[in-house]
Amino acid sequence: MRLGETRDLQAVINVTPLVDVVLVLLIIFMVMAPQLSKGPDVTLPNTTKPRDQGDERSRILVTIDEAGGLWIDDQSFPADQFEEGLRAAAGDAPDPKVVIRGDARLRLGEVRQAMLAIEQAGFHGVGLIAKRIGAKDQGD
Amino acid sequence: MQINDSSGSQLHSEINVTPLVDVVLVLLIIFMVVVPLLLQGYDANIARTSANPVPAQSEETQLILSIVPSACRILEPPVGDGLPADCRVTLADREIPAADLPASVAQILGDLPAEKRVLFLAADNRLNYEGVLRIVDLAKANIDDLTIEFITTD
Repeated sequence: MRLGETRDLQAVINVTPLVDVVLVLLIIFMVMAPQLSKGPDVTLPNTTKPRDQGDERSRILVTIDEAGGLWIDDQSFPADQFEEGLRAAAGDAPDPKVVIRGDARLRLGEVRQAMLAIEQAGFHGVGLIAKRIGAKDQGD
Repeated sequence: MQINDSSGSQLHSEINVTPLVDVVLVLLIIFMVVVPLLLQGYDANIARTSANPVPAQSEETQLILSIVPSACRILEPPVGDGLPADCRVTLADREIPAADLPASVAQILGDLPAEKRVLFLAADNRLNYEGVLRIVDLAKANIDDLTIEFITTD
């Protein structure tokens, strides 16, 4: 079919490119959704009824991986630079809240060390992140 | 405007994509909303015994929950969804099965004002983190606003 073959003007919007773009966006989001969580992958502890801890964008996200390594958001920190890192992550935010994503296989002592360091850096109270038993990785 | 305006009786063999677009757009919006995953967990504080001695007068009202590995074997991540069946913890100097925690904590702290609903947790450092969180979960089961303080000696 060549253009101009028909003289009839088609007043219908061609939605095919729109559908293409939207489908691609959808696929991107579906693929990214489980990985968008900041920090390295950890096996979160499973509990019966964890309480809401808010949106992760409004929190300083500390991750403790299986080996006990400390992460702030996406960045790994050695223990002696951890407190500085925390203060840098907090910036000027008023009353910043820290949450700990600790691996389920950790010993309590390692989590306690991190809690102490967070306390020492001047933050009061942490949220210990868990996953509801039976909840899927993607949403709930 | 009618589709057949100009083409007379010709059949349009195009697929009607409008419902498809609707569905896909709704899916897209759902995913965009779900992506900033909401966090779930437990608030916890650190109570440091040496740096910040607790006034003697409040000691009698402090509720202390002790977990030791000899009474509750959670040195490894607990198998399944709960705790080992024989797991026992010490609440206010009385050893009770972990399964009784929701009722016991509610009984002791249930009538107190919210700011006094504090549970001090004396847990061994060797215990598994997930196991301890499950005990915290039990303690909070009946009291939503319970404050958890991890006792830490240094």
